[in-house]
Amino acid sequence: MIQRVRSRLVGLALLVSFVTGIAGADAMRTRALSDVLPVAVAAFAITIGIGWVVVEMLRGALHGMLRSMRDVVRDPSRRIAAEAAPGDELRELAEWINFLAEDADRSHRALARERMLLAAVAEGLTQGVIAVDSEHRIELLNDAARKMLGVTSSPVGELLIDFVRVPELFDLIDSDVAATAEVQLPNTPRALIRTARKWGGDGRVLLLEDVTTVRRLETVRRDFVANVSHELRTPVAVIRANAETLMAGAKDDPVIAGKLIDGLHRNAERLARILADLLDLSRLDAGQYRLELSSVPVRPVIEQSLSAVEPQAAQRNVTVRVDIPTELAVRADPKALDHILVNLIDNGVKYGRPDGNVWVEARATGPGLGDVRIEVRDDGPGIADKHRTRVFERFYRADPSRSREAGGTGLGLSIVKHLVESMGGEVGVEPHLPQGSIFWLRLPRASSIGTPP
Amino acid sequence: MTAHTSKDFEQELRTLRERLATMGERAARQLALAMRALADKDDDLARDVVKNDAQIDRDENEIDELALQILATRQPVASDLRFITMALKFVVDLERIGDLAGGIAKRALELNRLPSLEPRIDLTKLATLAQKNLQAALDAFVRRDADGATAVITADAEIDKLNASLFAELIAHVATDPATVTRVLPLTSVCRYLERVGDHTKNLAEEVVYMVKATDVRHRPIIPAN
Repeated sequence: MIQRVRSRLVGLALLVSFVTGIAGADAMRTRALSDVLPVAVAAFAITIGIGWVVVEMLRGALHGMLRSMRDVVRDPSRRIAAEAAPGDELRELAEWINFLAEDADRSHRALARERMLLAAVAEGLTQGVIAVDSEHRIELLNDAARKMLGVTSSPVGELLIDFVRVPELFDLIDSDVAATAEVQLPNTPRALIRTARKWGGDGRVLLLEDVTTVRRLETVRRDFVANVSHELRTPVAVIRANAETLMAGAKDDPVIAGKLIDGLHRNAERLARILADLLDLSRLDAGQYRLELSSVPVRPVIEQSLSAVEPQAAQRNVTVRVDIPTELAVRADPKALDHILVNLIDNGVKYGRPDGNVWVEARATGPGLGDVRIEVRDDGPGIADKHRTRVFERFYRADPSRSREAGGTGLGLSIVKHLVESMGGEVGVEPHLPQGSIFWLRLPRASSIGTPP
Repeated sequence: MTAHTSKDFEQELRTLRERLATMGERAARQLALAMRALADKDDDLARDVVKNDAQIDRDENEIDELALQILATRQPVASDLRFITMALKFVVDLERIGDLAGGIAKRALELNRLPSLEPRIDLTKLATLAQKNLQAALDAFVRRDADGATAVITADAEIDKLNASLFAELIAHVATDPATVTRVLPLTSVCRYLERVGDHTKNLAEEVVYMVKATDVRHRPIIPAN
């Protein structure tokens, strides 16, 4: 712009000198061209000089303005000072620029706030959120999604396929209708993927939900209802059939009547056992079962439990070996502990192999040896992986026919789990290699017999 | 080429890459499920695996078509051409891995009806190794990682060795008790299938090396890693 002003200025000066020269020549008349020329040159020089000074002043003001504008663009929180803009037009220009800067600044802040809010919401969600653009590049991958997918970095801008290869995820991204899929993800056994919505053209938002626990509980509940009705129906059916046979005339035959009555009694006992166990469980559930925690020496309790399972062990010719340091004591309710141990040792004897072995061992464990681990091991057929995680569920049976035949109610282990947990302990099962199972429980250790820790 | 078609071309290549990786994941998942069906004696799961193989076959056809279409319409050169020729081979190996997983599931269905072999033959190590190698090959593919792929090629020797020792163990069973032959035969098949999965995985890795480095590493003697 300054360049153009300068060229116009030269034009203007020429015009002025020409007019001055003509006017001078006209006024004098007598003078020759050599007399007119200096006047014209002087006029030209004066015009150029004045013009030059004006242009330079304008140039300086514009430069100052430009500098201030550059500062404002770099940092929208800055403003152009009034003294940097001399003259009405420049001041107005500065005001408009300040207004724009103000607006940009506000938008920037709002955007940053929104971004922070979005990040806070996304990171706080337990649901995983994945957003990709039309090229399947990651726009957002929140903390929950990263955990479920086993992604450790924060890969915004990268291709999703470089981090996840789950086929259903990509099917859903490409799907034109809202859809869901339930799949296994790298770090989540069962996850529900849902297409949320399209955004910014062909971008997609997907939601991931960990449904592992929900599905497991659904199975547990379904199995429980099916099992409880089955367990109750079987003895009831036998009782009804036997009673009907007796009424139909069998009561007059002493041999048959004896057998039928024996069956009645056995099944009534069985029903009573199941109901007692169910009642125990619901009491434990409701927290009505009061446990009195005290320091309990482990060895005498186990010896007492052993006497309860001895007949069964003798019958199956199972050897029970006990190895427990005499001074070991746990913090527990003596009756509950006895119940737990009888249950576990009895299981070992019943479901181990005939002529087999059951080992009962206890030792101090944990950080600072503050816990006691009690193990009941057998060398029987063991429990398959898929059953092992579920044996503590109510009525869950790894081998239904065998355990019912052995007289189990299907509730023993769930009662054990409940009791151990309400005493602040932990219970579990592991395979005993090469064959058999290890049922273990961990309880807080009592420092010495008779005194609580 | 105008900017528009070049962008379309890039998109097609990306889709091809995505389809290959997800097909690989499907094959790997089939293998894992087949082994679980065998370990847990789970007939339903084994039948699922057999049924799901159709999806992998569909993948093969669709990816083949996509690759051929790119070849015909875009006439790619250099690394793009290498990538597409690689894709055409990659799908074949993945499809075979899917078939082998189906084979394992079918053997599982046979074995589930028979009592377990005592003492038990543990195929877990072989299966884990085969699965780990397959995942490593797929990782190398998406990351264009030639070194990772080379490691997969080297690791195949371990699978072959393990297979040989398991095979000997199984044959020993038959030698001591010929009645076990009906149980041993399907198990030897499973071992062989796993070993074949290893071979196809090695092919995948060689194809990745070709894609990344443009060198053909097939049929080379393996220099054991120290």
